Amino acid sequence: MIAPDLETRAARLNARYRNHAAVQVLRHALADPELGRVALVSSFGAESVVLLHMLSVAAPDTPVLFVDTRMLFPETLEYQRQIAAALPLTDIRVIRADDAALAEADPDGRLHQRDTDACCDLRKVVPLERALSGFDAWITGRKRFQGGERSGLDFFEPEPPLRLRVNPLAHWRPQDVAEYMEENALPRHPLVARGYPSIGCAPCTSAVKAGEDPRAGRWRGAEKTECGIHFIGGKPRPVAPLPAEPVSAPRPSAAPLPLRGAGPGPLSKDDEMTTAAPTAPARQPAAAAAGPAAAPADAPVLVRDDGFHPVDTAPDVALPPDSDPAALAPCLGASLVAVEFPAMTDGRGFTLARLLREQGFSGRIRATGALIADQYAMARRVGIDEVQIPAELARRQPQEQWLARADWQDWDHRSRLAG
Amino acid sequence: MFDAATDGRSYLRHRAAQFRAQVARRIDGSLTEDEFRPLRLMNGVYLQLHAYMLRVAIPYGTISPAQMRGLARIAERWDRGYGHFTTRQNIQFHWAALVDIPDMLDALADVGLHAIQTSGNTVRNVTTDAFAGAAADEIEDPRPWAELLRYWSTDHAEFQFLPRKFKIAISGGERDRAVIPAHDIGLRLRRQGREVGFEVWIGGGLGRTPLIGKVVRDFLPAADLLPYIESILAAYNLSGRRDNKYKARLKITVAERGLEVLREEIEAEFLRRKAVFSSGAPEALLDELRARFAAPRFRAPDDTGYEIALAANPSFRAWSDTNLSPHRQPGHASVTVTLKAPDMTPGDCTAAQMRLLADLAERHAYSDLRIAHDQNIVLPHVHRSELPALYAALRDAGLATANKGRITDIISCPGMDFCTLATARSIPIARELADYVRARDLEDDIGPFDLRISGCINACGHHHLGHVGILGLDRAGVENYQITLGGDGYEIPSIGERAGAGFPYDQVVPAIGRLIDAYLGLRDAPEERFIDALRRLGAAPFRAALYPEAADGKAAK
Ligand code: SF4
Ligand code: SF4
Repeated sequence: MIAPDLETRAARLNARYRNHAAVQVLRHALADPELGRVALVSSFGAESVVLLHMLSVAAPDTPVLFVDTRMLFPETLEYQRQIAAALPLTDIRVIRADDAALAEADPDGRLHQRDTDACCDLRKVVPLERALSGFDAWITGRKRFQGGERSGLDFFEPEPPLRLRVNPLAHWRPQDVAEYMEENALPRHPLVARGYPSIGCAPCTSAVKAGEDPRAGRWRGAEKTECGIHFIGGKPRPVAPLPAEPVSAPRPSAAPLPLRGAGPGPLSKDDEMTTAAPTAPARQPAAAAAGPAAAPADAPVLVRDDGFHPVDTAPDVALPPDSDPAALAPCLGASLVAVEFPAMTDGRGFTLARLLREQGFSGRIRATGALIADQYAMARRVGIDEVQIPAELARRQPQEQWLARADWQDWDHRSRLAG
Repeated sequence: MFDAATDGRSYLRHRAAQFRAQVARRIDGSLTEDEFRPLRLMNGVYLQLHAYMLRVAIPYGTISPAQMRGLARIAERWDRGYGHFTTRQNIQFHWAALVDIPDMLDALADVGLHAIQTSGNTVRNVTTDAFAGAAADEIEDPRPWAELLRYWSTDHAEFQFLPRKFKIAISGGERDRAVIPAHDIGLRLRRQGREVGFEVWIGGGLGRTPLIGKVVRDFLPAADLLPYIESILAAYNLSGRRDNKYKARLKITVAERGLEVLREEIEAEFLRRKAVFSSGAPEALLDELRARFAAPRFRAPDDTGYEIALAANPSFRAWSDTNLSPHRQPGHASVTVTLKAPDMTPGDCTAAQMRLLADLAERHAYSDLRIAHDQNIVLPHVHRSELPALYAALRDAGLATANKGRITDIISCPGMDFCTLATARSIPIARELADYVRARDLEDDIGPFDLRISGCINACGHHHLGHVGILGLDRAGVENYQITLGGDGYEIPSIGERAGAGFPYDQVVPAIGRLIDAYLGLRDAPEERFIDALRRLGAAPFRAALYPEAADGKAAK
């Protein structure tokens, strides 16, 4: 039985699946009687193959609606055939505007030059609406990271009057898409390699330069950002989030934390093979954003066991992480050596500091770079005396958070073994 | 068990409180997601796409009945009533909520368990032989050494941010039951004259690039263990690759830089570290540890009941033949309870089963329990007089499947059914294969047979080490299974070799069926195991059985 109240259904489904990963959202959603009849709508564009593949594993007989505007790149049509042949999907339906309507509204095929909205309406929105009329819900590949209207997406979204939209990939990040394609050896859309990260109709899609938003090539030069099919039934309205666990009020600036797994916010997926160093958080721009008036507050800070200090002397030598461990002798006479940590996950500096101490270095060792408060005890235990941190980090992790780790001599198991 | 030098529980509570504070600091924005991630990983909190998983260490596989009951409580309160034992002596609880994890860590600390360093690019849970302290062929109980390593590696300041994860295994028996050649560091207890020491292997590992480790030191005096291991880690920390996660394990460093180059660096650094450690040699600590792992006071009751039961009950006899291992103490045996009954998911254990095993360990087995890397549970010390009653209790609970080391004792990762990384199903393959063999009543006829399944290239099911390994892949959206032949994690460490093209899902069981038939026809005596026949004859006849069309084609030419 399908509940009549769309918002309630969407909220209930979001609550039910908030813990789930994309694959499970898809798999369970397809079997969930509350969803009713479901179709996947796919453009066979740059990232479509992910959902198509998931669907082919979970429920290959689900209808797949492919909107052919007859303005697509030949590469897209070829790619569509390639995927249709490779994946065991059994019900791919090609949706097109009917010939009469086309002949009437766009006889010369140039409507897109005059009125893209009318063209999209004719070639996508109307045919798709017709095709979807027999379904209670449809699956889309939209993701929050695509920004704009999409940044508040939930897994389930009401589409008045009667349909639900399911967005299994809502919380995916670009790297999740890339990893999924790589891990499952999925074929890439041939245009991606030629600079089209988002692919629509040929006349309305252009390549994107490095650094541009991936969707920047869609309707370039126009206000338009969505083709309209995602507005069927009105603009998307994110469902009011269910009350989260009572936790201390988040700071407004803080990125939201996934309290129960499927929360909002940028998540980092772990797998057996990852946990490679994430790029160091970009701290400089944040500091710079404070503006010239805050300049004195932007000076870096030195942390010692008794708290924050201004940076005093400059180091005599700086040891980058790839320093040759067999060639530390020249440093041994210095009075202050800086050991650099390019990222918090790059622990080479800990060994370099230990090697300096082992070889009898008795001067001061300063850690510079990306260490955070949680690593202060580690730094102290390997023989580092002080940690230099940027002003932004000193604000975000104030003195108390560092002092909490000034107890580094407690629980130092190794020191009990090695004296 | 940090109570060697301090009160262990208070350290564990300290760590749980620290993690609670980190969660709060993540919520209030003090920690960014990128900063929080390695911190939660070093506390065993994993995120697979959008669901958290807590991985709890069972250090060196030794667990007390009280701890087992603690796991049962956690499974019921915060998970779905069961846990999954992995191939690395861990138990995983899926579907944990991040806000609950500090409470789960507290509950673990209450029974002296923890999740520290079960994830992340650091020294992981040290694994060892499930039969430690009981096996008849043991040189010395490896657990005091394993515990020493754990104590040393926990929160080791220098090695929390290595290029990749780092796994150490230690084996005490003549026969290696800890798969040491498949670890970053493998330690094998050895005796030279009267001195005890280690054969040290480095650079083994499975996963994408399976490699068997190499011996870097034939004999390391036991007292030098910590400085030597630190030297290996220091060399790896500095020279392991950080530019590519697939090339970051020590095995690649060894392969790329060469064993000799690394050995020189390790030995040079060892001399310096040895000087530091000599001031605080852990002898006193080791003595404490040895006392902690001392064998129970073995009893010697009358065991005529055992002989009578053997004669009277053929299924008890069959179970005794397969699931008992020789014990160094006369009148005793070690019992393996396989979590591989028909309809069971390899490695899954319900809260009720955990409680039952805890009770049985107290009643019949000197209160000692072990988790084995092959996802089974071991009662290491059982006097024979207890066996009939123990067997009856296990049988009533459906846990007396007589298949240890048999083809149905399949090691399998969770695969597509539970793991978000999976590219194929593994559990249904395991079940269908077991059903196939059972339906034909071939289990005993085949005898010892090591079959392993992984649901993706990450190889958590250690398929490369199975006599037969099955690796589920995804070829353009279709599950496809590669079969490897000739792996061995025990006597002659070797990585299985790919037999040929992969099979679609529904062809896997028939293919293994043909392989079994070929083996049964080719062996020269019922005692010749599959692996021995394969070594004697080479892979060709078995390949021909797997790919009959290809063989016919060749014959026709
Ligand atoms: S994307 Fe461009 S060509 Fe395609 S339907 Fe819309 S306006 Fe027309
Ligand atoms: S081998 Fe792959 S599928 Fe299996 S548990 Fe490991 S990561 Fe998951």
